[in-house]
Amino acid sequence: MGESEKHSSDKDDYVPLKEQEEWRDVTPIPQEEEPNTVCPIAYTDEYSDMMSYLRAVMAKREVSQRALDLTGRVIEVNPGHYTVWMYRKQLVEELGTDSENELDWVAEISEIHHKNYQLWHYREALISRLLDQKTAEALTQDQLVRHPVIRRELLFATNAIDGDSKNFHAWSYRQWIVRTYGIWDQELVFVDTMINEDVRNNSAWNQRYFVLMGNGSGRPEKNPDSPLEDSLVDREIAYAVEKIKLAPNNESPWSYITGLLLRHAPARLYNTLLPKLQALAAEGSGYASSITTTPMYWSALVDIYEHQAKDLPDQASVLLDMAKDACDLLAFDHDPMRGKYWEFRKSQLCAGTTG
Amino acid sequence: MANLFSYDFRYDDNEHETETSEAQKEVEDRIGRVYMRLVDPQTLPLGGEIDDTRHRLLRAKHEQFINDSIHGLSSVFTVLDSSRPWIPFWCLNSLDVMGSDIDDRLRRHTTDTLRRMHCPSGGFRSDPWQLPHLASSYAAVMALVVVGGEEAYSVVDRHAMYRWLMEMKQQDGSFAVHTGGEIDVRGIYCALVIASMLNIMTRELVSGCAEFIARCQTFEGGIGPYPGVEAHGGYTLCGLAALEILGCTDVLDLGRLAKWMCVRQMPFEGGFNGRTNKLVDGCYSYWVGGAFPLIQKALRRSANDDYLYERPALQRYILACCQDTRLGGLRDKPGKHPDLYHTMYCLIGLSLSQHYVGVDPAHEIADKSSVFSVPARMMQWGAVPARSKIIGARINILRPVHPVYGISFGPLAQGIKYFYSLPPLAELLV
Repeated sequence: MGESEKHSSDKDDYVPLKEQEEWRDVTPIPQEEEPNTVCPIAYTDEYSDMMSYLRAVMAKREVSQRALDLTGRVIEVNPGHYTVWMYRKQLVEELGTDSENELDWVAEISEIHHKNYQLWHYREALISRLLDQKTAEALTQDQLVRHPVIRRELLFATNAIDGDSKNFHAWSYRQWIVRTYGIWDQELVFVDTMINEDVRNNSAWNQRYFVLMGNGSGRPEKNPDSPLEDSLVDREIAYAVEKIKLAPNNESPWSYITGLLLRHAPARLYNTLLPKLQALAAEGSGYASSITTTPMYWSALVDIYEHQAKDLPDQASVLLDMAKDACDLLAFDHDPMRGKYWEFRKSQLCAGTTG
Repeated sequence: MANLFSYDFRYDDNEHETETSEAQKEVEDRIGRVYMRLVDPQTLPLGGEIDDTRHRLLRAKHEQFINDSIHGLSSVFTVLDSSRPWIPFWCLNSLDVMGSDIDDRLRRHTTDTLRRMHCPSGGFRSDPWQLPHLASSYAAVMALVVVGGEEAYSVVDRHAMYRWLMEMKQQDGSFAVHTGGEIDVRGIYCALVIASMLNIMTRELVSGCAEFIARCQTFEGGIGPYPGVEAHGGYTLCGLAALEILGCTDVLDLGRLAKWMCVRQMPFEGGFNGRTNKLVDGCYSYWVGGAFPLIQKALRRSANDDYLYERPALQRYILACCQDTRLGGLRDKPGKHPDLYHTMYCLIGLSLSQHYVGVDPAHEIADKSSVFSVPARMMQWGAVPARSKIIGARINILRPVHPVYGISFGPLAQGIKYFYSLPPLAELLV
């Protein structure tokens, strides 16, 4: 064990823990080297060393600052190590570590490891302890949004989304904060901002539905199948159409508005949405050509006519014919990659069954 | 008949550029260059047609890539230290699907390796100092079934596994993936695959699962990890496959789901993306492509009607764009490095596209309510040879796999036969 065996990393010269005074009292537990292991990983000396000491302190359930520091170093190198995250959580709780510092540390980890799952789940646990439901229930939405803990978390998620606009974990984390603390109104503002930034950001459109309708277990005042207020429907239709006009060949607003109306206000598909779409198609050449060449327009017409036929049985035959024509147009001209799907859809219209 | 391909299918951004459209166009440029090399020059004046007869699955290169990995992985793989049970699964299942040789020595060593990853109190983890994890357990159990044989099957303590699964079980029907871990649809899928294979299904285990999955279907029609979260290919396969095990795919709005799945196929690239307005990725060949046989059955479509998507276009994407001709192995898209995860999912996605696998609607088992109908229903799945569609040489053909389990029918049947010949759990007799 001489100088020549020291492992050198990019950042600093790594000093093995066995050479550190602080760790003299600990007998490391090395990984068992089994012969004939398939897919063995050639761990770095640094990782092997850190893990052998971490195993030792975990085995004796040590609660100490040095154990906490060690978990941090391991996570930096292997952020997917969920067991070490769990151990760190215990340590933080038992040591009474300052939550602010801990949140800062998590933020540092997220800078290096953008797509890591565990750090978000860990953060949830920290926040739940910092701001429990009982305390939160006593505050208004306004107060909650201005509460330092919540402001900080929303900013953290926003930063992650700035770096990766569709970061699955970040958007999901925002849903957790919003429904845990009931701060729905500010989320709609955030959604608007993100849709303005990129009208094709589907995570933002999904969030819009979430804000309006809750997460299936329902916002306090809404259940998933409840009808929406007329004014809300009007507003959402206008909003979606405005965004469609920006770039008609964009799946998100189409799927949003047809999805919303199909679930919560199907009659408005043909009462309100259809006239607006037809107006766009009849407008000057700019919109007309973009909108009538995008498959999503014809696809929406299929949904709309199908529903209209159900509600108005005496006009059903004409409406279904228009829907079938749209399917043909899609299959042959505008959306041939989905030819088999449009064939299927058409056959369902003929059979009078729902697609 | 030429298969669908056209530069007309390129994304139209309506002259309104955003980050999304720019990223999409960049990928299309790259993939366009790959496809242009395959276009029959004589067809250029008429738009250009790809000569799909030239695609070759580079078996030997992929075998080499996999065997090298089996031998050893570099320190870069430290980041997979907590997912080690997955690695033999990716390797062996890929070899099996290609019909490559898995000799006795490899079987023995894989069994021994996985035995060390088995936790006596239930589940699998990378080493004894890590918590058992539901996804790792799923991978380990599937790997042992691919290996096959009593020695491999008996690695798992079924009673311990059941008790551990019930510890992971949540009140709302979902499962946490480890103690204190995240809860999502993936957990349900892993738990049900394990339980249905090992013959440890009970009413308590499956209660609330279908309802939870249904709540995860979004307004778009696809399924997300948790109620409210964006619809995503991975979770869609997990949800649909779990419901197929349970025999209740009808809890979903299947029409809307079918539409969402079909729109995942990229008109220009031919492969699938995982979410609306995101980029193509080879692994969705399984997560989305593999869901088509499942929805075919759920919609009660016959084998005379093909799957609802363009099979040749997907196969073209995998063979032309996802194979790394230099390093071997398969990948997300050109420009990305091949890896074992993408290798397996591209291959099983390719298999599920080459073969038509389904259940004859005339023989479908009506009573799905009992947990005991599970093995019978799962074993009804099989390939219909007349409906296969192989792009490129016929030697590209892979072994057919079961869409729920992602492994080939031979090992699957052997495994089910073994585990269902064992006595039921003591828990059931109480």
